[in-house]
Amino acid sequence: MTDRPGPDASPAAHPPVPAGAGRTRSFSLRRRLTFTLAGFGGLALVSLLVAPLIGPTPIALGRVFDPAIPFADNVDAQIFFIARLPRALAGMLVGASLAVAGVVFQALLRNPLATPFTLGVSAGASLGAMLVITFGLPMAVAGVPAVPVASLIGSLAAAGIVYAMATLRRRGLSTTVLLLAGVTLNSFFSAIIMFVQYSADFAQTFQTVRWLMGNLDVSGFQPIIAALPLTGVAFVMFATLPRALNLLTLGRDSAAARGVDVLRTQRVAFLSASLATGAAVSLAGPIGFIGIVIPHLVRLLVGADHRIVMPASACLGAAFLVACDVVARTAMAPVELPVGVITALTGGPFFLWLLMRRP
Amino acid sequence: MLQATDVRFAYDRQPVLHEVSFDLVAGGVLGILGPNGSGKTTLLRLLGGLLRPQSGRIALDGSDLREIPHATLAQRMAIVPQETQLAFDYSVLEIALMGRYPHLRAFEVEGPEDIALARAALAETGTAELEDRSFMTLSGGEKQRVVIASALSQFGRRAVDAADTSDGQAEVLLLDEPTASLDLGYQLDVTATLRRLNTERSTSMVISTHDLNFAAALCDRVVLLRQGRVLAAGPIGDVLRPDTVRALYDVDAAVERHEAAGHLTVVPLTRRGDAAPGGRAGR
Amino acid sequence: MSMNMTLMMVGKTRTPTTPGLAGRVRRLTLAAAIVLVAGLGAQTPQRIVSVIPAVTEILFAIGAGSEVVGVGSYDQFPPEIANLPRIGGLIDPDIETIIALRPDLVVPYATQVDLVAQLGRAGIPLFQYSHGTLSDVLTTIRQLGDRTGHARQAEDVARGIEADLAAIAEAVSGRRRPRTLLVIAREPGSLRNLFASGGSGFQHDMLWLAGGENVFDASVSRAAQVTTETILQAAPDVVLEVRAGQALSPAEVAREVAVWQALPSLPAVRNGRVVFLTGNDLVIPGPRIVQGVTRFAGALHPDVALPTR
Repeated sequence: MTDRPGPDASPAAHPPVPAGAGRTRSFSLRRRLTFTLAGFGGLALVSLLVAPLIGPTPIALGRVFDPAIPFADNVDAQIFFIARLPRALAGMLVGASLAVAGVVFQALLRNPLATPFTLGVSAGASLGAMLVITFGLPMAVAGVPAVPVASLIGSLAAAGIVYAMATLRRRGLSTTVLLLAGVTLNSFFSAIIMFVQYSADFAQTFQTVRWLMGNLDVSGFQPIIAALPLTGVAFVMFATLPRALNLLTLGRDSAAARGVDVLRTQRVAFLSASLATGAAVSLAGPIGFIGIVIPHLVRLLVGADHRIVMPASACLGAAFLVACDVVARTAMAPVELPVGVITALTGGPFFLWLLMRRP
Repeated sequence: MLQATDVRFAYDRQPVLHEVSFDLVAGGVLGILGPNGSGKTTLLRLLGGLLRPQSGRIALDGSDLREIPHATLAQRMAIVPQETQLAFDYSVLEIALMGRYPHLRAFEVEGPEDIALARAALAETGTAELEDRSFMTLSGGEKQRVVIASALSQFGRRAVDAADTSDGQAEVLLLDEPTASLDLGYQLDVTATLRRLNTERSTSMVISTHDLNFAAALCDRVVLLRQGRVLAAGPIGDVLRPDTVRALYDVDAAVERHEAAGHLTVVPLTRRGDAAPGGRAGR
Repeated sequence: MSMNMTLMMVGKTRTPTTPGLAGRVRRLTLAAAIVLVAGLGAQTPQRIVSVIPAVTEILFAIGAGSEVVGVGSYDQFPPEIANLPRIGGLIDPDIETIIALRPDLVVPYATQVDLVAQLGRAGIPLFQYSHGTLSDVLTTIRQLGDRTGHARQAEDVARGIEADLAAIAEAVSGRRRPRTLLVIAREPGSLRNLFASGGSGFQHDMLWLAGGENVFDASVSRAAQVTTETILQAAPDVVLEVRAGQALSPAEVAREVAVWQALPSLPAVRNGRVVFLTGNDLVIPGPRIVQGVTRFAGALHPDVALPTR
């Protein structure tokens, strides 16, 4: 053991050190993690605090928090607490979920082009929502309206089918089969969606098309509270993943040789990302672009280590979606723009610019 | 120290290895030689504990691999794959630090000691100056040496760990075709790095390769594997002969000691039998 | 007060951008009429295919029902159409079935450009139609009367509608117009993806005639997606929801009305003035418009005795 550096041994005491290796540059992962999280977390916090103050209607903060005015009479307070704050919170929840789900799917599939919607989760959710809107299925559960319930069921069903296909044929989880099954299921569900739309009447078709564009106007905290348990479970599972996902990018064998239970990690990754995506889509519809732009943006800014990328993506995804939603509801007020249009219009060009300036 | 006894393995009833036995001594370098498809990679994965033999036993210092927890095993044995392609852009130091993961508790991040150990591992493979570089931008030889450094950093002990682990347990590096995808210059770099690790750190190694000259340059003992069976095993000077090369590859070759290189060299001369591609596969 | 004056008033409340659409419709109709006159002479059609529910209702109302040989797949009124062949709908008209019916007049919707082109190539006469304002309904009735040889009945129907609408307007005149949010679509069971009538279109006109004032009068579009914040700010006295399609049970209607409790500051919610109406008469700009306006007026002014026909 003498030829290895002890805890106190300076690297210079080590025999085969080539020139240059003796420098002690500061590299502290803990410090990096703290700074990054403070930065991105601060951004998310600022967006949450500022977004409810912006809107087409001028509101007086003094009136919003004036205890002398009963809530039922206080329009300023209602605009703040019913219209704006829930929207900002829903934006945070959905933005964070989709961004981290994007990171996890990209790592699981070892494919930087993967998105939370690659494996059919959003197509399943859309089909569920569409069936309720078109046929008026009574699926409301415990006060949660039928459309989110049906889209959640649809997304989890899609995830279940894809997972079964990827594991049925042989032991272990084939990411290739996962990807192919997901892409196939996406087009298959899209075909059913088109068929359902075809047999729907005009107003219903319009409603479903609008649902597909995404919308954060949840008008109250109740839909957020309903989505919270699933999202919470997903994020607890996310917390166990970062190190294993780092190792998985080296390859299955390298990961397994370092004590990673590869199959279990893949299962947890798939399940948690599907759950987070399903909950997010059932809350706000399939809002595109966050799941791919945010993870890549974060990697360009802070590197690839998932212990930093995952929390940073959650914060940046939350801040980005809340900001986009502010634009969506104010740009053409009183008419609302689809928030998915804003995320794509702002995220797309910015992402392309980042790609171009990369050395 | 690493011992395989009558190891048998099959993928979905397709037998790959038949009663393979050998022994790696501490500080030794064992080559597993054989043509493509002879079962080398499978054998290496069995040795690394990634696969379980259907029968037979693989033991590290007397204890069956099955009984050693993954994380414990990872601190004594490391695998270097043939090629490492990353989907995302990690820095060299981050790759080296991944070797420290088996030593970390849940949610623990690498401390100064781990970073010092990872840097020392990079230094030992001559890649210390590259630590800030993006792994993706490295040459093939540099990548391979960084991955070896990452494996080495698995073996490093921190003060806390050293107390509760018995000292003196040797470390094993399992390398799968480490030079197969490298050009000549990088092959020599990697060969030199591995030789230095063996002499200076007494790292034990198992190297699977089809490159007889590479094996001759590094290994003290070899196992010749053909269609999942051990054709011959023993010290390289005894085993590497024109007749074993012929049996292994259906090639007539000259096997001579090269004075400048300081080890045996194999020069292939003619292909035997019908030279059609795949002609050897049947026999 | 004459109906024409009433409609002029309706016209005045509209924003200046809408006549563009109505004008375009008239131009299209005119162009189609010119083509017909030039090509085939003013022959009275004997075999009519109607693609759009409003047109089908108009044709039967003006006595051209016996000449109708095919109707749109979503048409439900009047009951006489139950056994007529169906020829698809707005987005999926079945050209083969239409041609096989050997029509001498087809009434498609203005946006069905492919259908119009194909029928034109087949040499089948067309009358192009498009939804517009409430006064456009009367114009369409008269034009269809002229085109189908039922001009006198069409004139009677149009005058009858004018008189009925005038009577409703008279009954609610002098009343304060409640500021009304007219909801035309939203997600079932929640206030999400809510669309309201903007300041134009026949539903906006129906609301005005029924003695209401649209809270989104200033909006130019016929239907606008509005946010919770906009609704809170608009603070409507009455929320009037119309839903076509399948009938809802009283319990389902009660549940949909209860959804509005999420916005307790709305005067409409506080005063229990959220009204949920279902039925195709509310969404089809045809002769049953009188029925629709009557129902609107009943919801907005429950204490007023409305004329019954």
